[in-house]
Amino acid sequence: MVSARVPADPVAGDPVIAELVVPRAPASDRPVLHAATWIVWAAAAVVSVQLAPNVLYASVVLLVAVLVVETHGRRTGLARAFPVFLALGASFGLLRVVLTVATTHGLGTPLATVPDFTLPRLLGGFTVGGTIERQVLWQALADALVIVVVIAVFGAWNAVVSHHEVLQSTPRAFHELGLVVTIALAFVPSTLAALRTSREADRARTGGVVVRRGRLVRHAVPVLESGMERAVALAESMDARGFGHRPAGRGERVAAVGTLGGLLGLGGAFVALVGGAQLAAAISGGIGLVLLLTAVTSASSAARRVRYRPRRLSALDAAVMAAVVMAPLGLVVLHAIGDESLRWAPTGTGLPPFHPLVVLSLLALSVPAAIRSATP
Amino acid sequence: MSAGPMSAPRPHDAGRLVYDGVGFAYPGTEHPHAPALSGVDLAIAAGEMVLVIGGSGSGKSTLLRCANGLVPHSSGGRFSGSVLVGGRSTRAHKPRELADLVGFVHQDPEAQFVVDHVETDLAFVLENLGTDARSMRRRVEEVLDALAIAHLRDRSPATLSGGERQRCAIAGALASAPALLVLDEPTSQLDPQGADDVLAALTRLNADLGTTIVLAEHRLERAAPLADRAVLVADGTIAATGAPGAVLAGYDGAPPVTHLGRLLGWDPLPLTVREARARAAGEPQHPAPPAPPPHAPGRSLLRARGLGVAVDGHRVLDRLDLDIAEGEVVALLGRNGSGKTTLLRTLAGLLAPATGSVEHAATTRVAYVPQDPNSLLFAPTVADELGATLRLLGRRDPAAIEVWLERLDLLTTRDRHPRSLSGGERQRVAIAAVAVGGADVLLLDEPTRGMDAASRTALEAAIREHAGRGGVVVLATHDVELAARAASRAVVIGDRDLVADGPARDVLAGSLFAPQVLRVLPPFLTVAEVARSLSAAASGQS
Repeated sequence: MVSARVPADPVAGDPVIAELVVPRAPASDRPVLHAATWIVWAAAAVVSVQLAPNVLYASVVLLVAVLVVETHGRRTGLARAFPVFLALGASFGLLRVVLTVATTHGLGTPLATVPDFTLPRLLGGFTVGGTIERQVLWQALADALVIVVVIAVFGAWNAVVSHHEVLQSTPRAFHELGLVVTIALAFVPSTLAALRTSREADRARTGGVVVRRGRLVRHAVPVLESGMERAVALAESMDARGFGHRPAGRGERVAAVGTLGGLLGLGGAFVALVGGAQLAAAISGGIGLVLLLTAVTSASSAARRVRYRPRRLSALDAAVMAAVVMAPLGLVVLHAIGDESLRWAPTGTGLPPFHPLVVLSLLALSVPAAIRSATP
Repeated sequence: MSAGPMSAPRPHDAGRLVYDGVGFAYPGTEHPHAPALSGVDLAIAAGEMVLVIGGSGSGKSTLLRCANGLVPHSSGGRFSGSVLVGGRSTRAHKPRELADLVGFVHQDPEAQFVVDHVETDLAFVLENLGTDARSMRRRVEEVLDALAIAHLRDRSPATLSGGERQRCAIAGALASAPALLVLDEPTSQLDPQGADDVLAALTRLNADLGTTIVLAEHRLERAAPLADRAVLVADGTIAATGAPGAVLAGYDGAPPVTHLGRLLGWDPLPLTVREARARAAGEPQHPAPPAPPPHAPGRSLLRARGLGVAVDGHRVLDRLDLDIAEGEVVALLGRNGSGKTTLLRTLAGLLAPATGSVEHAATTRVAYVPQDPNSLLFAPTVADELGATLRLLGRRDPAAIEVWLERLDLLTTRDRHPRSLSGGERQRVAIAAVAVGGADVLLLDEPTRGMDAASRTALEAAIREHAGRGGVVVLATHDVELAARAASRAVVIGDRDLVADGPARDVLAGSLFAPQVLRVLPPFLTVAEVARSLSAAASGQS
């Protein structure tokens, strides 16, 4: 069984050799825009959807988030996790719909009736179940869409931003904490990938025979053990590369004491507020805040870490930031002049109102996508 | 502001590594009389390039991890003796305190990246050591050039090929200008081109910068000729140390040309194809290898027609046709990322084809062993791991478990936790755990990764036995020596399609990465063929 493509001459014109020596084309995974720009974009998108929760406008923001991921999504694990964030948002939204329709009654036209029960007074004493009402259902769906959009925006932000750049933008006092968070975030996609691989391996092991009994253990144990091994290997690697090289200095010790005092002060303020002692709460809270600020300042100045080539904001970043903040600003102006389309109470009978100026404002959020399209 | 570790003049023997009476046992070791290391005395001079060899679980990795204090500071356990690196004791200094002196590269480079941006990841160690901004910048640029990865500076490690990722990991360890670089099987996951790139970079570092290099390897064809010295580790002790040729002379895992030299009585034994060719030039012509028995095409067990597969929206395979008949052992070759794993997963029914189809009889069972054995292992012991497959299939067959434990040389590990085994041993457990189910078609993805010579030999025998009983084995591998020894047919994949498909001898003969024996004594593929030919000639004369 020799195919016609087996090379006769091992040197000249050998497709095998050609395949093995052709180098890959270089590329860049560096985000076009600064992490701070993406923070501003995400904040503008979230504020916009809060200002204009009308389902039509919320859908526009959702589409913009998808467009931004399509044009700026990085080739990293978190970027690939965008659909997972969408699914997570949909799950939260669905949960909210179920809870709302099951506990809100007497506001609209009954659609159906399900068995009900009343919780004990200690747990709120409200009734769960009973009539499912049309207006309540539609409003819950509209509110759920807002939740989906907010989580989608967070997912989009994770897909496009360099988390290390975000880390570099934080005060030096938070560097180590931020690094831990960054690494923990990086474990999310790798754990999802490990779970997929584990499920595949389980199916492959039996030659496609699917056995449901004991499946959870067979899937979870390899993922947990591999995750633990990977975490240990990463910790060893960080240790071998000098992480935590220098012992804590005086500044760090002062910061630790300040943080503890600050937290105690804020805790005391909370207790005082509960007890109705407002003056004591203000004093305790003030002292707590001052101590916390002192701790952050002290830790930042004590940190001897020199950052490698921190990225600076470019004119493009400034322009994009200026453009995207026009979205919430425009909505604030429209709200001030009495635009009633921003908020809409769905009844299940009419279509949501639409104002071109609102959509125009929201389209400012898509400016980053246009930048990407113009960049080769 | 400190100028960092690189500004301080460093003594000329900073890369010197001395083990003095080192003994070590991991915590919870059941047999305190079988420690991971015992009585290790070894001195490595500054500027040396040392190759550490030995079987799976012999203590190579433990020996390496002692060099920067990961053993015992990270591992725990009972440690005795002393390890001095550049005059600093690893007992008194933790790994982070030796980061300016020792660079350490893990077997799995992915475990090493902290930052998702290559250039910034290189600077991680420098930031930790408090290096000033200007020195950091200069050092990162130098390391980018030294490893020829400047074009990758803005890439995310997750998007790199295996070879690129390994070179970036080495660069990350080199950024602090360590006097000693320690690498644990740096080429085990790489295709031949990637392995060549990494070893060339190490040779350059050693020759140009005088960096002491200590690396553990199983695949010695490329690494052995580059080392100044080889150290053989067996049962936690130093069994031999000296010139690579001398140490490898009696070692099972020696490169095929060394085995060939041993068979033909050459002295000195060759380590490279070049040396072997020079020696073979004066050899009398050996009779050609006996032609393999004509292979009667058996019943087709697995068939792909017009197969196209897309992963993450990218077409990986396109219009691929493949027929695999009973009794065949097929080696799938091709560079990292060429689509070998995708093809295996599609044949196993784990990926849906975008176009075309995969067909096999309803009674034919197709099982797949993934590249990462850890995704499969969940049972508390090796024997339970095999038993689990049988339970899933509704069978109870203790004899089958024993057969596969024996075939893959796992009898001594039957009661151990699979996770406590070395990488090569885990790989064998995963293969046994799948094969024990009795599937007709076994799809093995990089089955020899991290395996020592004895394990490879056991695996090859098991593969031949499975095929001999009418089964099919498809191996996705970078190991052309494995393909030469075990495969009856070779298929090369490149750019989404089959580049070559035919008898292993024909396909391998046309490749730049042909097996060593074929390059020295064509048309022989393996040392075993030469031995059979000599034996046949001898019996003919008598």
